[in-house]
Amino acid sequence: MDSTIALLASSQPVSQGAEAALYKGTLHSASAPLLLKHRFAKGYRHPTLDASLTKARVAGEARALMKCLRSGVSVPGIRFVDASAGVLGIEWIDGRSVRFLLGGGDEGVDDEEADETEETEEEDALAEYGVARDELMRRIGTEIAKMHLADIVHGDLTTSNMMLRLPSASPTNQPTLFLIDFGLAYTSALAEDKAVDLYVLERAFGSTHPDAEPLFAGVLAAYEERMGKHWLPVRRKLEDVRLRGRKRSMVG
Amino acid sequence: MPGRVRRCPLKTPDRPYLALGLEGSANKLGAGVIRHDVDGSSTVLSNLRHTYITPPGEGFLPRDTALHHREWALKVIKDAMKQAGVSIHDCDCICYTKGPGMGAPLQSVALVARTLSLLYNKPLVGVNHCVGHIEMGREITGAQNPVVLYVSGGNTQVIAYSRQCYRIFGETLDIAVGNCLDRFARVINLSNDPSPGYNIEQEAKKGKRLLPLPYTTKGMDVSLSGILTSTEALTLDKRFRADGQPNGPDDTDYFTPADLCFTLQETVFAMLVEITERAMAHIGSKEVLIVGGVGSNVRLQEMMGIMARERDGNVFATDERFCIDNGIMIAQAGLLSFRMGHSTPLTKSTCTQRFRTDEVHVAWRA
Repeated sequence: MDSTIALLASSQPVSQGAEAALYKGTLHSASAPLLLKHRFAKGYRHPTLDASLTKARVAGEARALMKCLRSGVSVPGIRFVDASAGVLGIEWIDGRSVRFLLGGGDEGVDDEEADETEETEEEDALAEYGVARDELMRRIGTEIAKMHLADIVHGDLTTSNMMLRLPSASPTNQPTLFLIDFGLAYTSALAEDKAVDLYVLERAFGSTHPDAEPLFAGVLAAYEERMGKHWLPVRRKLEDVRLRGRKRSMVG
Repeated sequence: MPGRVRRCPLKTPDRPYLALGLEGSANKLGAGVIRHDVDGSSTVLSNLRHTYITPPGEGFLPRDTALHHREWALKVIKDAMKQAGVSIHDCDCICYTKGPGMGAPLQSVALVARTLSLLYNKPLVGVNHCVGHIEMGREITGAQNPVVLYVSGGNTQVIAYSRQCYRIFGETLDIAVGNCLDRFARVINLSNDPSPGYNIEQEAKKGKRLLPLPYTTKGMDVSLSGILTSTEALTLDKRFRADGQPNGPDDTDYFTPADLCFTLQETVFAMLVEITERAMAHIGSKEVLIVGGVGSNVRLQEMMGIMARERDGNVFATDERFCIDNGIMIAQAGLLSFRMGHSTPLTKSTCTQRFRTDEVHVAWRA
């Protein structure tokens, strides 16, 4: 516990969300950098409840990552877990989020501000990685299919939760796509859950990227190819989910 | 959104406006009169309420509730006008709850509103109940553009304003939080007077032991029905002492109704604060406003306050006069809409049980 706190103290804060604070640190002076995700204690929650929730969530996230790694899904490797302290350490990915690369700006940046610089920056950004848009979409579809074939449902698929690693930072000198943030992930074999996962991503594309339709079609095509015979049930459910929407009319 | 200034479309009134608001979507019948002055300020002239209270262990049925509203409507409205010191002749419009709510009680109040409208030749304004809560909360607390947590017996929603619409960011997937608390109050036979939720809150203050319950946030949504079932199941546990007393000096491993109230509150409120915090982080807001009947729970306000402080933000809440269903909030939302030139023709003055918060065009905000 104390060594975990010391590790956090020696690390650089990167950003802070509602759930956790992110740090960049190293385990020892010679090791590669890692990303530390600290689910800090919430003052409003009863301490007992808070402790058990934090522990379960860190362990759950580590477990989902572990399962992905074993199934060959491209996710950051696990470097460090201290569930009681609420800290998860994962491989540091040198790159940008897909959201940024597609010109959706960084998360939390006002839409209208980002609009102005969007076009030019986006071209430059993707060119630097040497990946065409269509190729990027294809990789996204393939990675999601691999994850779903392992019966892992991400729970929060958005373009902010995918990263492209810089070719220069990669051992193979190739740009690699990573799925990140498994904080809401769970295990499920149901076509329904996988369809909802895809639907959430479809909505995320629609709300953050212009001409989202052809982009998402590219994702689905690659997904379909990789899923093989498992695609049909998911497709049927996806059609249902789209009709249903997430929000129904409520009584009271 | 920061950095963008749009002019508020609502003009300052050229003369004082008066509105009568009638509310009866659940077991409270409310009538209130509000005045919008030329300097842009609002004054609550009267705000009266009569609640249909059922015996312990029972909820309120639509038919009986409608009967209650019919019996009390005239007295409550007359008293409200008397206290306000004005006549219905002076009012500019009569506002009533169009929905959402229980059908029968809604209809009985809408009938009263239509009758008054014809008798006094005043325009009607149909109001969305949820928007009424939000507008009254903003008016009373002065919060400008908060994330709204709307928690009551029928609704549990996290709402934020965007482009003339109150968008729902998260909500309950099954029952409302007030419903969850009230039903548990009935399981352990707490009184419905003044409200089951209030009595749960008082019991919870005596509770000390936190028992494990499911914790079911799903993204920005919550699910509450399973938590109610689990809490009910705990009342059948061997360690449960319905009288709140241990069986003897050796009896240490036990829990009481107060402990269950405490556990239930701590768990569901933590879930609500968590989804509210997520919505705040998502849209980058620092203000949070709690409205609806459960919003008068001091423990919920306290927890929300801690969360807001951790984010350098502020929490706004009101007391039971404005949190719990009332007529004045209907008058406030209705008058805002009326001043934008909107009214409901008699032939369209229906009510509906299903009426989502995001269906309303919020014409009066920038």
